[in-house]
Amino acid sequence: MTIESAALLQVNDLTKHFPLSGGFFGRSAGVVRAVDSISFEVAPGETLGIVGESGCGKSTTARLLVNLIEPDSGQVILEGKRVGADMSVRDMRRHMQMVFQDSYASLNPRLTMEDSIAFGPNVNGMARQKALALAHDLLFRVGLEPRRFAGRYPHELSGGQRQRVNIARALAFSPKIVILDEAVSALDKSVEAQVLNLLADLKKELALTYIFISHDLNVVRHMSDRVMVMYLGQVAEIGPVDSLYSSPAHPYTRALLAAMPSMDPDKRTMEAPLAGDPPNPINPPPGCRFHTRCKFAQDVCAKEQPVLHILPHAGHMAACHAHIPHSGHSGLEARA
Amino acid sequence: MSVASFQHIAEIEKSPGYWAGVMRRFRRDPVAMIALFVVLALILMAVFAPLVAPADPYRASMLRRLRPIGTEGFPLGTDELGRDMLSRLIHGGRLSLLMGVTPVFIAFFIGSAIGITAGYVGGKVNSVLMRTVDVFFAFPSVLLAIALSGALGAGIFNGLLSLTVVFIPPIARIAESVTTAVRRIEYVEAARASGASSFTIVRVHVLGNVIGPVFVYATGLISVSLILASGLSFLGLGVKPPEPEWGLMLNTLRNAIYVQPWVAALPGLMIFITSISFNLLSDGLRSAMDIKS
Repeated sequence: MTIESAALLQVNDLTKHFPLSGGFFGRSAGVVRAVDSISFEVAPGETLGIVGESGCGKSTTARLLVNLIEPDSGQVILEGKRVGADMSVRDMRRHMQMVFQDSYASLNPRLTMEDSIAFGPNVNGMARQKALALAHDLLFRVGLEPRRFAGRYPHELSGGQRQRVNIARALAFSPKIVILDEAVSALDKSVEAQVLNLLADLKKELALTYIFISHDLNVVRHMSDRVMVMYLGQVAEIGPVDSLYSSPAHPYTRALLAAMPSMDPDKRTMEAPLAGDPPNPINPPPGCRFHTRCKFAQDVCAKEQPVLHILPHAGHMAACHAHIPHSGHSGLEARA
Repeated sequence: MSVASFQHIAEIEKSPGYWAGVMRRFRRDPVAMIALFVVLALILMAVFAPLVAPADPYRASMLRRLRPIGTEGFPLGTDELGRDMLSRLIHGGRLSLLMGVTPVFIAFFIGSAIGITAGYVGGKVNSVLMRTVDVFFAFPSVLLAIALSGALGAGIFNGLLSLTVVFIPPIARIAESVTTAVRRIEYVEAARASGASSFTIVRVHVLGNVIGPVFVYATGLISVSLILASGLSFLGLGVKPPEPEWGLMLNTLRNAIYVQPWVAALPGLMIFITSISFNLLSDGLRSAMDIKS
């Protein structure tokens, strides 16, 4: 069965709760609600940015998508085929590859660059010589001269060069989607810019689709067509980048954007827009998960969980009672 | 995407491999090089014992018992049965080294296999394997070796067998903890995302990064094994007289400790030199294998 949809990737109610096993007999002492019923779509050729605080489930979402972690429930639908039902996990991974944050840990210290890149194609049945030739080709594409770099080991390269190799390895399958999990976050700013430009060039040349995960709002704005804001394992807001940055609907998004460093001295952040840490995902607050830190919170927020609601701007949705008519919330502007 | 526009594979600049770097760093470490030299010398001495030894290690004579070091014809004196000490020490290296190295060597393979399986598969398999190992680990190693040898009966083979059993748990422990750590590193995740089978991932990505530290640890155990083996022989559970073996020689000479203390101490000195050489060799390997040093 195939599902008719224009989306390249469709995610329905994806959920992962990590059990907290207590003691030897594996008694479950509660669950961490790392990712709680999230749904979104990715159109072919676009870049979807995912932002949120540490521990909000960004990386877990990425690992769920490529099935490095088995989801508890929910569907991942790639090109209309349900992964695990109409399409094997192995086939899915050929179309969806991932680049990790830590460029050093991502490469086996005992393998040369060409061996690291050729490993994937090799285990998927490509002859070794052909896989090595492909690895050299990919090194050239990511701006590393094969003759100099193919025989090197990870500790001989800089962070930026290593991350280029990781990108090359992800491209070895000619994937449709590349998930970049904080892929540039650990790099120096100047190197980060170079790698971002490389990613933009590769996207154009190879018609790639990116899922770009970062905590850096400026970088996400620069890279993304649409942005998804996550809070405690749920989607708080999702929308086109311009509309979301110019008129953020969810109070959490507003707080995040207010915390963004600005070049303009008149727009200096005078006080922390958000107080405290996110609540414990083991026992998330009832109702809207953000209500404990939200300055617009009203009675309804602690009782009912808001669903994603379509806003007037095209394609812009937010999960906030203040935007849901007849929710019992008097709206953001009333108090703000 | 076009494939293979660069086919000059033979022309790429190869970095010296990991082990070439280890060798280079090891050669620069004088203590480790001396330890290696001593170990090699001991091994050669044991292998070519009949050629090296000046006399027959079994030829006894009641007329020349317990001669001191430096006696003419007997440079290291004679033992309580008048046998040439130098020849007995040289021949004793054969059994002592065999008893020191073999159990660790076998335990290295079995322990690594158990530890890597437990560490990579994780979950219930890990619990079952490692708790079983813990049962053996709970006994002090000397007591376990004595108990097993005692139960199996004296003899070289039973001694080797019980020592092997003693060394499997610590090696499995180390292999398991290193594997558990390596399994969580992103390059293993990336390999899983590439669709490789668990067996391939272990072979290409886990084994190479786990076996090094485990090997270093195992070389350190050789000295322990040597001492335990000597201990078993000392207690009469390993090698039987009149075979020359350092632990057994130490035992039979202990009555002569007041008469010829220097001669009586010689087998102990050999055990000491051998075990400290293996320990220093292991230390040198450890620092040579540390990439960031």
